[in-house]
Amino acid sequence: MKREHSNLHPQQLTDPFSLAGGGYSLTSTSTGTSTMTSNNGKAKTWEEAKGNQADGGMDELLAVLGYKVRSSDMAGVAQKLEQLEEVMGHAQEDGLSHLASDSVHYNPSDLSTWLESMISELNPNLHFDPSADSLLAPAESSTVTSIDFSDHKHHQQPKLFEKSTSSGYDLKVIPGKAACSQPQIDSRESKRLKTDPYQTSASSSSPSTTVGSFMGSAESTRPVVLVDSQENGVRLVHLLMACAEAVQENNFNQAEALVKQIGFLAVSQAGAMRKVAIYFAEALAWRIYKLYPQNSVDHSLTDILQIHFYETCPYLKFAHFTANQAILEAFEGKKRVHVIDFSMNQGMQWPALMQALALRPGGPPAFRLTGIGPPAHDNTDQLQEVGWKLAQLAETIHVEFEYRGFVANSLADLDASMLELRPPEFESVAVNSVFEFHKLLAIPGAMKKVLSVVKQMKPEIVTVVEQEANHNGPVFLDRFTESLHYYSTLFDSLEGSVSSQDKVMSEVYLAKQICNVVACEGHSRVERHETLTQWRTRLVSAGFAPVHLGSNAFKQASMLLALFAGGDGYRVEENNGCLMLGWHTRPLITTSAWRVHNHHPVVDAA
Amino acid sequence: MAGSSEVNLNESRRIVPLNTWILISNFKLAYNLLRRPDGTFNRELAEFLERKVQANTIPVNGVFSFDHVDRTTGLLNRVYQPAPENEAQWGIAELEKPLSTTEVVPVIIFFHGGSFTHSSADSAIYDTFCRRLVSTCKAVVVSVNYRRSPEYRYPCAYDDGWTALKWVKSRTWLQSGKDSKVHVYLAGDSSGGNIAHHVAVRAAEEEIEVLGNILLHPMFGGQQRTESEKMLDGKYFVTIQDRDWYWRAYLPEGEDRDHPACNIFWSEWHKSRRTGVP
Repeated sequence: MKREHSNLHPQQLTDPFSLAGGGYSLTSTSTGTSTMTSNNGKAKTWEEAKGNQADGGMDELLAVLGYKVRSSDMAGVAQKLEQLEEVMGHAQEDGLSHLASDSVHYNPSDLSTWLESMISELNPNLHFDPSADSLLAPAESSTVTSIDFSDHKHHQQPKLFEKSTSSGYDLKVIPGKAACSQPQIDSRESKRLKTDPYQTSASSSSPSTTVGSFMGSAESTRPVVLVDSQENGVRLVHLLMACAEAVQENNFNQAEALVKQIGFLAVSQAGAMRKVAIYFAEALAWRIYKLYPQNSVDHSLTDILQIHFYETCPYLKFAHFTANQAILEAFEGKKRVHVIDFSMNQGMQWPALMQALALRPGGPPAFRLTGIGPPAHDNTDQLQEVGWKLAQLAETIHVEFEYRGFVANSLADLDASMLELRPPEFESVAVNSVFEFHKLLAIPGAMKKVLSVVKQMKPEIVTVVEQEANHNGPVFLDRFTESLHYYSTLFDSLEGSVSSQDKVMSEVYLAKQICNVVACEGHSRVERHETLTQWRTRLVSAGFAPVHLGSNAFKQASMLLALFAGGDGYRVEENNGCLMLGWHTRPLITTSAWRVHNHHPVVDAA
Repeated sequence: MAGSSEVNLNESRRIVPLNTWILISNFKLAYNLLRRPDGTFNRELAEFLERKVQANTIPVNGVFSFDHVDRTTGLLNRVYQPAPENEAQWGIAELEKPLSTTEVVPVIIFFHGGSFTHSSADSAIYDTFCRRLVSTCKAVVVSVNYRRSPEYRYPCAYDDGWTALKWVKSRTWLQSGKDSKVHVYLAGDSSGGNIAHHVAVRAAEEEIEVLGNILLHPMFGGQQRTESEKMLDGKYFVTIQDRDWYWRAYLPEGEDRDHPACNIFWSEWHKSRRTGVP
């Protein structure tokens, strides 16, 4: 997105810290549409800012650098910084870093909240004067916070900050903060609520959940990490691109010639680039010869491949680990819990969660698991077998366990009534989806239906893990280019793996995805990966609010990666409360957590 | 203390623009939490708090970027280039042709700051700065993701800087001008400025051509405090105490601040060297 900066003040360029005018839409960290403050290019000093509270937009300069602070809140944030400094001065020096590392931090982009939580952490006696806190001043946020306050039955958001009785830290409850962490979207929601206060949450989310509207919201980022860019590798990429372009233009003779060239050149390559080129060339060939591959309905093969993928590289382990962390936190204090897993497969995620629950101080809850999966082709009941194994584990670790396997061709076939849900006061629900949601985008209306069914389940938490890439754009060539870069990075990360058999199986597992992205269309094209920004927009529009993953999950995920032999290029990154795992600087998968944002219809008593 | 040379305690708040003050104060306080008195560093929390951005081959405001990793060393460089005029070439990194065969296109090797300990090439603050550098200077910028202390002490950062210089010099696609060579400048802020200086000195010794140094408030020091150090201690976000911590974390254990990495003006050490640094 291009941004005009006609009011860029030339003097500011020489000051490295005065980053005025560096604005552009950062895809993952900025809110994108903040208004440029009209101050003839000069950044405001403290004194000037105090007098100007009218601006409801974000401070653009901070936004570009990854921090979301409302312009009207700047003076307030500056005050908190001073306060924090004072409080830090009083804390003992070794006590300071000790406390800092033991406390859990959330979403550092939301500077105001982070500062407040740090101040409370270091000085529990300090109270915040709500009148001095400019949080409630801007019109949009006050509407949202008042809705939150009126909804007393579902105190889900404050629990995030609630003091854990075992840890002894007194993080103050700051009502309404999570709802305000993305004020741009909230202000849209609040406008909707203002104009039609009698709308229920289901109907208010209807206008924006069509598949078409999300195409437009995809941002244009193409992160590229080149590892050992050898000349032949570069030539191969250019050839693949040229071939894809020919396909895009329906020039199939040209495409055919190119695909053969690629085949010859690919075998002279070594390593990741060779395999990537071969798989992409193969997929292109399918497309050129119009032999669209049937979706292999043999899920048992996919399951086996996935197990090898699980062993070879940390992506699935990271996905399970971070999702489990969010689920654990959401289930804190609950006596009976129920996990509904949309991605049951071999149930590899659940032993770790069950063990963590078993070790919970105060004892484990009763654990119920509903596993949803596709029908098996042979007569075996995969889902039931997995359930049996987990039941055996549960017995050895003394966790009360209940299981039900549920066969469905598509998640869209589900209805909440089928699942025998118990009242939320009795049993708390978590919904888990690892690499499943994107498949629903192949069928119009499916995603919307599934999300509304999820809401009917009244979950404490919904954990979503998805590939961090846009492989669902409307233009074939764009999809091709994005996926080429994505899978090149993924294959690079596998290069360092120890077991060659696991590695080969993992590559076949990924090759099936490549084939689907490149050679399939319509209902068959199920690998419709989208980015966090796109998922966020979709989920928020559907009535969900983010639950932030914290520094404790981050730290443990980092430690998990350090144990993983075969490559120290893996990186965990925090992005607005979500965690991403990537290879070097390129994020590849994202774990996010959600709760249902409660819209309480305002009823006119008169 | 004469009244005229005394720095008002509130001066930074009056002088520095609010958003800059907020940004730097936030860093200052967060960094206080990360440094431990025993000299260790809370790297996990630092990475969690760090705001990063991805490279983007699709140009934004006329600049695109991509990352390159050397498989054997793991050293990452982020390359920033002006966007090609032909929109059809957007989104692709051209690695086969030189930048120009007629004009000189400077290649600025940039070392980010962070007192040898903080930040990365993909930090949002430095990504933004490098992009602006490309636009303003019509240059290519290569931002080096050097290894940081205390996990990696002297001379790791300098070694990585040297490796990056050799890498840049050997890229045919970074060549320009009628003489078909890579026109290199070294730049850096804070610790990056220190690295740029030391890499330039080595380049001069080993006769690798560097056309110039751009040092932005470079980080140097010494056992003896300078007048401005004493006068400005704590006044503009930086304290002598935190500087000392970072030197202890970077310099070899047991060394003091008169080590040549830190104190480049120590005349005795300098007398024994002859360099041709421009």
